[in-house]
Amino acid sequence: MTLKEKLIILSDSAKYDASCSSSGSNRKNKEGIGNGALYGLCHSFSNDGRCVSLLKILMTNCCIYDCKYCLNRKSNNQKRAIFTPEEICSITLNFYKRNYIEGLFLSSGIIKNPDYTMEKMIETITLLRKKYHFNGYIHAKAIPGSSNYLVKKLGVLVDRLSANIELPSENGLKLLAPDKKKNKIEEIMHFVKENQSKAFTPAGQTTQMIIGASKETDQMILKQSETMYKNYKLKRVFYSAYIPVNKDKLLPTLNIPPLKREHRLYQADWLLRYYGYKVDQILDENHPNFNILLDPKADYAIRHLNEFPKEINKANYYDLLKIPGIGPTSAKKIISSRKFYTLEMKDLQKMGISLKRAKYFILCNGKYFANKKVFQKEFLINNLILEEEKKENNTNHQLSLWGKNENLSV
Amino acid sequence: MKIYLYKEGLLNLLELITFLLETNRKPDFIKEENYETNLLDEVIDLQRNPRKNLWKNWEKNIGKKALKTILYVYISETKEKELIIYYFLKNALKYKENIFYIRNLKCVNKTIQISERVRHEIHKQKGFLRFKETKNHFLYGEIEPESNILYFLAKHFKERLKEEHFLIHDKKRHLLCVYDTVNVYLIKEEEVKKLEIEYEKEELDIEDLWKTFFQTIAIEERKNERCQKSFMPKKYWKYMIEMEDKL
Repeated sequence: MTLKEKLIILSDSAKYDASCSSSGSNRKNKEGIGNGALYGLCHSFSNDGRCVSLLKILMTNCCIYDCKYCLNRKSNNQKRAIFTPEEICSITLNFYKRNYIEGLFLSSGIIKNPDYTMEKMIETITLLRKKYHFNGYIHAKAIPGSSNYLVKKLGVLVDRLSANIELPSENGLKLLAPDKKKNKIEEIMHFVKENQSKAFTPAGQTTQMIIGASKETDQMILKQSETMYKNYKLKRVFYSAYIPVNKDKLLPTLNIPPLKREHRLYQADWLLRYYGYKVDQILDENHPNFNILLDPKADYAIRHLNEFPKEINKANYYDLLKIPGIGPTSAKKIISSRKFYTLEMKDLQKMGISLKRAKYFILCNGKYFANKKVFQKEFLINNLILEEEKKENNTNHQLSLWGKNENLSV
Repeated sequence: MKIYLYKEGLLNLLELITFLLETNRKPDFIKEENYETNLLDEVIDLQRNPRKNLWKNWEKNIGKKALKTILYVYISETKEKELIIYYFLKNALKYKENIFYIRNLKCVNKTIQISERVRHEIHKQKGFLRFKETKNHFLYGEIEPESNILYFLAKHFKERLKEEHFLIHDKKRHLLCVYDTVNVYLIKEEEVKKLEIEYEKEELDIEDLWKTFFQTIAIEERKNERCQKSFMPKKYWKYMIEMEDKL
């Protein structure tokens, strides 16, 4: 098998992992090649609009597990391949030198057992770091079920580790990934959290959940994220819209992956991490799923109209953050500027703050953007939906397709 | 029209502006010395040399961030960059570090907008630049940026590719930046006798591997070329190996 054929097989099987970020590490270049860029760098964008930052590959797609949703499950009659450590080093270095990539994202199917797989990965990454003095970004998968001393060994070599929780609930995992155990995955997360330092996974840990392969509601999914952020200090939870690669009676049949739902979850995740929201504020038993037509913050605002419109010149930081279209950067700009002069609508525009959605929820120096009489639920909803459609038509034509496929059945 | 002239370079411009502010002179225009003037203009060429600690003193006075911001405006090559910098500095003397929040002043708003655009371009270009390894083991990369960002790219790659020789070619400005594992040199194209770039066959194999990876990593079911284009605008594609044939 040629190197090119291997690369096709082993990057094709790695592509469903959503994480590609290269941020969080400022590893220095000591007598070698490469360094970390703290804010991360995107080196390309594939035609699905996803950032290409790392050489994302599997060490091997051979696997002893039989997870229903996975292309590499052992019951699939698939072409299998395995990279040697030298091959991985050679591709990484050649790509890095030419500035194609920011580093390596190494994952793997399970060969023999978790410990053996981890040892092989460690061998490869040791070679890259020690023999070739590579100081670029490395993100590695920690294999659930492997021994702590191996996780420790891997963690001091890489910038980021991740263990995928895969499905939002234990039931989902039991049903679709019977070989994976939730407690094993959480053990790894716990271990990484306890050991995290400048010398051990400086860029922290992340995880990923598949959305739409099992029955969980958005509320259950986000609750799971909230718990994990709290317990394991995760940098990110990635949500990956389920794409059917296998046929199985336990799996839903979808023609189009639930991208819109994935998008809403990312928006809500953002609210948890940067806006100080709790899941209970945005979803509850009566609204266990997000409104597909409105982003979570607009949806929240519509349900709490009595708190709006807010006066830009008076509202405090957290109140400003509740305004659809205004994020931490904009809120900080507003607070710093209004000390010096009274803000009007046009001043916000000058600061680069988009008013497309915000204008419906704010007063500037007592003034509303239109006749105050229009401040009515129906009017706001209609206009927000129109704004969203406009945005989608401009950048994301594919998202709107999804609406037709809303009812998932498992 | 009063036009003040300065010799190319931000320090020379800064010296001139400092002098104008000290002596309360109000320029209609500030232009580089090779600027073509017409008969009606009153052209003043003071030929001042930058004084000692000019940059440092400004930094002490109005903050590092403000100085870095005017550097971005300077390399943006915006048509009236000099006047924008003049008014920005004039106001910075009054508002100090708070200058960034006085966005209702036109010069402040312009300065911030331009500097953000330049910073954005530097960031994008750091990722999108592509090197090719030549026969004599030089990494050669071509760019056509909107702003004159060569210095910032050199700084980035010098740290990252410490032990490699590299050459970044700004084809729009006919400028080259060379790194020989010790120093970075900025050279004008016309100063180079002959620029011979040749590649080994192996280079094509690696490019082919990269293109293969790039195609494989995309998920067909999520195809969204509009989104791709908005993150990676077409103007960068010309020198990106994986996009060349899409143009």
